[in-house]
Amino acid sequence: MSPPQQPSSTNPNSLKIRLTHRFLHNLNNLNKKRSNLDNTQIHRRSHRVKLAAYASMARVVGSRRAWSRAILWKIRNRKVFTRNKRVDHKTTHHHHLARSIKRRTTNHSNHKREYVDPNGNSGQEVKLRKLVPGVETMDACGLLDETADYIKCLATQVEVMRNLVDLYSTI
Amino acid sequence: MSSRRSGSGASRITDDQIIDLVAKLQQLLPELRNRRSNKASASKVLQETCNYVRSLHKEVDDLSDRLSRLLSTIDDDSPQASIIRNEFTQTFPIIEFLRVY
Repeated sequence: MSPPQQPSSTNPNSLKIRLTHRFLHNLNNLNKKRSNLDNTQIHRRSHRVKLAAYASMARVVGSRRAWSRAILWKIRNRKVFTRNKRVDHKTTHHHHLARSIKRRTTNHSNHKREYVDPNGNSGQEVKLRKLVPGVETMDACGLLDETADYIKCLATQVEVMRNLVDLYSTI
Repeated sequence: MSSRRSGSGASRITDDQIIDLVAKLQQLLPELRNRRSNKASASKVLQETCNYVRSLHKEVDDLSDRLSRLLSTIDDDSPQASIIRNEFTQTFPIIEFLRVY
C-alpha cells in the first residue's frame, strides 16, 4: 500500500531526486571554476565538496527546519567571516558568551547541570545537541523531531554521493 | 491515548509525545530497526542516534574526499562530465540511473 499522506518533502524518491539535482548543480559550479578542483590541495578540494553536500541538503529543505536554517546561516556567515576576520572574531566570542550565560541560567531553574528527560538519560541528549545543527536550545520534543528529519536527509545525501562516486568510478 | 491524569496534564502529554518520537527515531536507525522487541529503551535509541549521526558525518567526509579526487580526473569530453554539466537538460537519464541503484 502506498503511503498517501507522506508530504512530498519527506517522500524518499522526491527528496533523493531533489538532492541529486541540487548537489550536481553545486558540483557543477565547483567544476566550472577549474582552480577549485585542479590546482588546490586535496584536502581543500574535499572540504569544498563537503560544504557543497551540506549546502545542498540545507538548500533543498530550505527554512522549514531548524537544522537547515542553522546550516544556511553558517554558510552565509562563513562568507562574511572570511572577509572581515577581526570583526567577526569579536562577535563570535560574544555569541559564545551570551549562549553560555543563557545555558547557565536555564540550568539553574532546573536545578540540574543537564536536562534529564522522563526516562532519566541526560548525557546522550547533550551529545545529540552537539551533533545536530540548530537544536541547542530546543525542547526534547523538538530535538527528537529535528534529529529524525536530519537523519533522513543526511542518509539520502550520503546515498546520492555514493551513487555519484559509483558513476564516476566506472570508466 | 489521551491524558489519563486530572489537573494540568501538560507534562504527561509531552511524555507520550516523547515516547512516540523516540519510537519514530528508532525506525530510522539501521541498528535497531529490525529488532523483534519493537521498543528499545530511550537511552539506547539516543545512543544509537548519536553513533549513527557520527557515522553519517564520517561517510560524508569520506565520500567528499573520493568525489573530489574523481572529479579532478574526469575528462571534459567523457560522458560522466557531460552528466555533471548538462544535469538540467538530461534529467531523464539521471533519474533512470538512480532507479537502477
